[in-house]
Order: sequence, then C-alpha cells, then structure tokens
Amino acid sequence: MVEFSLPRNSVVGKGKTYPAPAGAKNVKTFRVYRWSPDDDNNPVVDSYEIDLDHIGPMVLDAIIHIKNDVDPTLTFRRSCREGICGSCAMNIDGENTLACLKPIKDVKGDVRINPLPHMPIVKDLVSNLDAAYAQLRSIEPWMKSDSAPPPDSERRQSIEERAKLDGMWECILCFCCTTSCPSYWWNGDRYLGPSVLLAAYRWIIDSRDEHTGDRLDELEDTFKLYACRTIMNCTQACPKGLNPAKAIGQIKELQLERKG
Amino acid sequence: MDSSVSHIKVMRSQLGRARGLGAGGSGTEHWWAERVSAATLLPLSAWFVIQIFRLKGASHDTVVKWGGKPVNATMLTALIITTFHHAGVGLQVIVDDYVHGKLHKPTRILVKAATALIGLLGVFSVIKLVISGVSRKS
Repeated sequence: MVEFSLPRNSVVGKGKTYPAPAGAKNVKTFRVYRWSPDDDNNPVVDSYEIDLDHIGPMVLDAIIHIKNDVDPTLTFRRSCREGICGSCAMNIDGENTLACLKPIKDVKGDVRINPLPHMPIVKDLVSNLDAAYAQLRSIEPWMKSDSAPPPDSERRQSIEERAKLDGMWECILCFCCTTSCPSYWWNGDRYLGPSVLLAAYRWIIDSRDEHTGDRLDELEDTFKLYACRTIMNCTQACPKGLNPAKAIGQIKELQLERKG
Repeated sequence: MDSSVSHIKVMRSQLGRARGLGAGGSGTEHWWAERVSAATLLPLSAWFVIQIFRLKGASHDTVVKWGGKPVNATMLTALIITTFHHAGVGLQVIVDDYVHGKLHKPTRILVKAATALIGLLGVFSVIKLVISGVSRKS
C-alpha cells in the first residue's frame, strides 16, 4: 500500500544554524537538507544565514558560497552554472528546478533546498538517478535506420521534418520533471516518467528513424506509457520551458492512430 | 547461504530492472475507453438531470410510466452501463496508483466485480420499470 508517513530513519530533524557574518545587511536564510551515508543519523535541515550583498543572484551562487566559505561538507552537483548541463537540479522552495536558473529574489521568505524528490539519496543534495538513466537507455535513444546513409553526406531532413524536433532536443535530462511526477513516485519501477517519454517521442517523430513502430510497441503498456495521469507537474517543473505532457499525449494519439 | 543475515536483496542491473518484463502490449484500449465513456456521459447525464427536474413532484405511477417508455428506458440503460463502465476503468487506474504488492490483484478483481454487479442491478431495475409499465397497462 501507499506509505503515508516517512520511515523512522527518514524523519527529518533540525540541524545546525550558521549565523550571518557581523555587519551583514541583506541577509536571507537558506534551509538545506543534509544527510550523510557515513553515519547512522537521520537527515537534518541546516540553516545558513547568507549575506546576499556578497554573492551572485542565483540560488546556485548561494550554495557555492556556502561550500566555499561557510561549510565545506555540503555536497551537491553542479557544472556549467548556466542551465545547459542539468547537474544542479534540486527542489528549491517546493519546486524542482535548476539552482543556476533560479533567482534568489524569486523566493519569498527562507529558501528551502532539498534534493530531487523520491529518489535514493547519495549525500545531501545529490539524488541517485541511476534508475532514470537506465530507463532512458531502455528506450534506445539513438537513430535506428535500415537504409544506408548517403555515401557522401549526412541523412537529410526537410525544414518541416526538422521543425518537429523543436521542443524536444532542448531537453538536458536534469529529471526535474520525472521526479516531480506523482505517478512516477507511485510506480517509478514500471512507469518511464515524463523525461524518458519526451526522449522516446523525440525518436518516434524523427523522420530519419525507421523503427517508429517498434518504438511504439515498446511503449504499448499500461504502466510504461499509460501510467501518465496528465497531472502536468512535468510541464510546470521543466526549467527549460519544455512540455513533456504534450509529448506524452502525442505518443498516446499515435498509439490510437495505428489501431483505428 | 543464511538468508536471515542482512544483505543486499536486489543486485539485478538497473537496465534489467528498467526493461523489466517488457511492454505488456495493451493500454491504449483502456485509456481510450476512459475518454470515450467520459465524453459519452456528458450528454447522457445532462439528459438525466433535465428529466429528473421535469419529473419533480410527479406521482409514483407517472415515474414508472416515464421509465417504461422505450426511449427513456434505452437512455437510462445507456447511462447506467456507461457510468459503471467508466467507474470500473477509472477505479482500476486509482488501484494501480495506490495499491501495490499482493493486494493489487484482489483489489482489482473486487473493483471489477463491484462495478459490474451494481451496474447490473441498475439495468435490471430499468427492466423492472418496463415490465411493470406493461403490466399496469393491461
């Protein structure tokens, strides 16, 4: 059955408070989830009072400042700090997003920072995304074509065919959408989740791919595809402004089209 | 090996788990049935609500006579069948979401049996209306 409360070893406690430096005028509190696999302690939320006058505008700037100058034990993923690598995906102020694209001033009150929901935690803000990566691999996100490519050039697409991939290729696989989806929380072992289904649709509608039917066969399943309940959290969460819910709807329409 | 010793229980690769048992080969029909029945219920329910308002304060005899007319009986039966078909497919989705493990299959059977039986009860009530309408005439 559905679990309505956290297991005893997951109940989040109160952690340490790191006060702002003396003389700070523009202070905001960052409440950050902390958990380490190295001890048997429950997770806690640490409070960091940060002087906003001395850091950049984004939540990631604050987190990097905390790690560099306040508490070097804080663990998180980040790489490009400009919304193209997808590493710093986390739950900020109750919404999954990229810390590097989230302005601190958009958050009213304390900034609550948690790891992406409902995934195993590696440490602090780092979720384990192995299962989601494997699900991506399971839909075989690469071109499958039996016709030989032209010997002297790449496979060509018309302008219209190429336009169909817009809104799809921009996905950076941060899994903000997948981990915001209640259906994925309930049935993540069988439901592929919005991110992977967006990737699947990207290959289904690619004019150069010749295995469209096989791809649709692989998704004809009450859970893999149809566990989508059109909750739309995915589209709301996407920090790149993409629409995975629409892509899922279009896969369902194609499934229907080939039956009728 | 002593299975009571604390140990990792699943060592299957993530890809193996993601592929699982493969695609079940169905799902579209169920999803489409949900949509079609929902859309069908819109006019049927509107018709029913209007009829009930028109029958406000009517005597028992009038209502029985109303229900016994072929068009009304057909519409009532269609409404009842569609309602409980929609309830069945819809509840199955809720069961899939919330009930996991050993209870999943029995709960699904329970939902199917309950919606089918209550729907049948409704259909036979309409048949009874039709028959009693006929017997009253004679």
